[in-house]
Amino acid sequence: MSNPKTANVVIIGGGISGVAIAWNLAKKGVKDIVILEKKTVCSGATGRCGAGIRMQWGAEQNCLLAKMSVEFFENANEILEYDRDVEFDQGGYLIVAGNEKENEQFKKNIALQNSLGIPSKHLTPQEAKEIVPHMDETQIVGATFCQKDGHLNPFNTTEAFAKAAERLGVKILKKTKVTGIDVKNDKIVGVETTGGYISTPLVINAAGGWAQEVGKMAGVDLPLYSERHQILVTEPVELIQDPMYMAFSLNIYIQQTPHGSFIMGRSNPEEPRDLRQTSSWQFLHEMINTCTTLLPPLRKLNLVRQWAGLYNMTEDAQPIYGKVDNVEGFWLACGYSGHGFMLAPATGILLTEMILGEPLSIDITNLDLGRFERGELCFETSVV
Amino acid sequence: MYLKTGVADKELVSNALPTEERRASGPYAIIECFQEIPCNPCTEICPFGSILPMDDINDLPRMDYDTCTGCGLCAAICPGLAIFIINESYSDTVASVGIPYEFVPLPQKGDVVKMMDRAGEFVTDGKVLRVVPNKKYENTPVVTVEVPKDKVNEVRFLQLKQEAEVAMPTADPNDEENLPDTTIICRCENITVGEVRKMIDQGYDDFDELKRLIRTGMGPCQGRTCRHLIMQEISRKTGKKFEDIELGAFRPPTKPIQLEQLIGGKEDV
Amino acid sequence: MREVDIAIVGGGPAGLMAADAAATNGASVLLLERDGHLGGQLVKQTHKFFGSEKQYASVRGVKIATILEEKLQGMSDLVEIWTDATALGLYEDGVLTVEKGKEFVKIKPKRIIVATGASEKFLTFVNNDLPGIYGAGAVQTLMNVNGVRPGQRVLMVGAGNIGLIVSYQLLQAGVEVAAIIDAAPTIGGYLVHASKIRRAGVPIITSHTVTRAYGKEAVEGATIVALDEKWQPLPGTEQELDVDVICISVGLSPLAELLWQAGCEMRYVPQLGGHVPVRDHHLKTTVDEVYIAGDLTGIEEASSAMVEGRLAGLAAASSLGFKSDSLEADILDCKEQLKSLRSGPVGDHINQGMAQVMLDK
Repeated sequence: MSNPKTANVVIIGGGISGVAIAWNLAKKGVKDIVILEKKTVCSGATGRCGAGIRMQWGAEQNCLLAKMSVEFFENANEILEYDRDVEFDQGGYLIVAGNEKENEQFKKNIALQNSLGIPSKHLTPQEAKEIVPHMDETQIVGATFCQKDGHLNPFNTTEAFAKAAERLGVKILKKTKVTGIDVKNDKIVGVETTGGYISTPLVINAAGGWAQEVGKMAGVDLPLYSERHQILVTEPVELIQDPMYMAFSLNIYIQQTPHGSFIMGRSNPEEPRDLRQTSSWQFLHEMINTCTTLLPPLRKLNLVRQWAGLYNMTEDAQPIYGKVDNVEGFWLACGYSGHGFMLAPATGILLTEMILGEPLSIDITNLDLGRFERGELCFETSVV
Repeated sequence: MYLKTGVADKELVSNALPTEERRASGPYAIIECFQEIPCNPCTEICPFGSILPMDDINDLPRMDYDTCTGCGLCAAICPGLAIFIINESYSDTVASVGIPYEFVPLPQKGDVVKMMDRAGEFVTDGKVLRVVPNKKYENTPVVTVEVPKDKVNEVRFLQLKQEAEVAMPTADPNDEENLPDTTIICRCENITVGEVRKMIDQGYDDFDELKRLIRTGMGPCQGRTCRHLIMQEISRKTGKKFEDIELGAFRPPTKPIQLEQLIGGKEDV
Repeated sequence: MREVDIAIVGGGPAGLMAADAAATNGASVLLLERDGHLGGQLVKQTHKFFGSEKQYASVRGVKIATILEEKLQGMSDLVEIWTDATALGLYEDGVLTVEKGKEFVKIKPKRIIVATGASEKFLTFVNNDLPGIYGAGAVQTLMNVNGVRPGQRVLMVGAGNIGLIVSYQLLQAGVEVAAIIDAAPTIGGYLVHASKIRRAGVPIITSHTVTRAYGKEAVEGATIVALDEKWQPLPGTEQELDVDVICISVGLSPLAELLWQAGCEMRYVPQLGGHVPVRDHHLKTTVDEVYIAGDLTGIEEASSAMVEGRLAGLAAASSLGFKSDSLEADILDCKEQLKSLRSGPVGDHINQGMAQVMLDK
């Protein structure tokens, strides 16, 4: 099969965002969509992430985006006609507060979340322990819980989108790296790849950790940077923990997958800004010290593997959605700052609506590239 | 044939023998080493310099039969157990053969043993004349056995007792596919060849793709056992060259370790 | 954090020689061995080794292990030995993490010599998970370390040196070997090994492979089949063998996980047994602090592993400024020995392989 020479839309990046956008565009009748993936689908941040999804956010817009995604994920196997299972495990998110200040903020968040129809609730440490019995409740001052939150299998979820997109005619070119973006008279005209040149009027930058580099190819210096986040997985054990356990103040999340293994990740505020995806031994100590303090019995688990993936960060830890004003045909779906996976269903729907000029299901026009110049940042405090 | 069976061809053996005249005039060593391998202890042990020095350690050993006395040190030291001590003039009626023999129990002087040829086939009975333990030479005993003169360069092994013949019955033709889908390929995660094939058929053709989707190589061994088998299966099904298939990532630790062993460590962080 | 001049991962023939060479030149050495004792595969080798005097030819492998270990014990001021110590990770900051007994330890060596050897390749065939199917290394451990016979009657799959030697050791232990089969058209191992097994009555059947094991709870038999020139099974040639053990000896893969982790450049070289590190003539990888020796550099005999170990030990010590009067001569000697060991026909494929991974010519 030779690669296409022309396309109506070229999406750079075969992660969850890229395939979700492709599927949505194709479903709306857009033809000749090509996804360019430098390695294999799901080999970047998507395949390395914790794949959690929560509606417990501190900003209204994020709550709504997450809610849209949860509702999609609940029916993803059926909507995407997937022959396997995206493994959406709605065991909830238990978000613990390490201090009173955080606890008070959580109470405010819950009021907001409940007003938006998100069934979250505030818990005392004792109530939290009923949900995660192996926790040391003395380490926390309170918690919030939403049963509808949960986590998925990121590989299967991405495959489900990718296969559904391919059935609608989307071409996914794996091991095809973008080497240049052809811009003439401030207009996208094509993309140079290791598999040949593709003429196209429209390029979507969904390159995750490499979005800044892709931006430069089109002559745009995007206000993005990447940093590695590390994660580890244990050997499988009996299922003992339903919810994702998360602590913003300690920068950690800990979940048990349906397979039985525990996956846990931690952010390091001092992480340098670069494209390294290597692992460090320091992470092991930091992660395990925190984990075994909060959930002491987990000390008996066996570590099998550690790895790292890239967060693509913006100054306000919110994604950039929309077009680039001075390069016609260049669209952005990047800068997720660590929550690109959970936003993907919404990303697919909303970016498609934007590109096709349709009314937006949720107003995300404030998440445009221009907000950084305008100084209208959209801060969200509830992040790891 | 030697390369297929391990049995040296007759010609190779007869070429290694000294002249008829030398054969009739006392003990000699025969070196049945017919492949150039890097090895030279025999050249260094011979007290008479009969095994000629090698230019290159891979050279085949060469013998000066004029000086060889059949003392047997070379038979004791050869790591390949490829040297035998022949005495065709042991008596008017019989010859003797010295065979390096690393089995227990050792035969005793006077025992009658079965003498086998280079293919392990029975040739004749023989009487043990002596057993030299060779403690100094890493305990490779040399057992010298009296055998008929015409058999001395046929027999190369001895057996103390009758052992069962190796039965090689032909079974009914096996009509199953040689490697059915149910065969396990990844033991940690209990994944069958069939599951792997199904994914390859869908276009997944590198190790990490399969790992993400069906967990091959995700278990505690991290692919140490199955990585190559899976790559072979990808190669077989797709026609891709083995070396063109990506191995996927190697991630620490090399073996599972209990989390509690990692508690602490702050002094280094 | 534990600091040392040179950390050596692997206490087999290469690692032991490396430790000796490095310490002899004055470098402090920490030798890590995952097993409870030093020697690596040497301790299972009850046969006499090939090679020349410098590589302990005609000495049994197990005794070589003792000799090398005793040498190190004489240098205890410079050489520290940790057994039951498994290297877990080699990180970008040069830190080596180790599980020592039940303790997690971090080491920051100035140089590291990775001499982790190889792991056994395996085969896929029907019922290959039945009890009674072993790798050749496991059979050697059972018999020669633990004194346990693996069974009564064995099918050996693979006629390379390991398959031949283990078959011989099985016979010595009083276990019957029903046959040695090999998929290749010719015997891969040394013919003197083949001959000594053959004359004991064990058939060696080339161009054959195993297609299935059968048995209820454990192996009761095996089906073997002839292969054509394209290594495809010939229908109608199936034979069944009554065996209770199937021993797999189909080759080794360099065990290079730490090098992959450390980001060393690797290349696929079939002649060397798989993916092996790119290196210079002093066995330095593309990561400056990381040296290599032994089967990890390419599957060869223990004699080469020992010389490589010595070379890596000398080179690593030299790179840190340690010098003895004979250092340069010793390095040259190692190179000469390796050249000599590989100069014959059985070394051809090694030389072809080496040519593909050498940084300097």
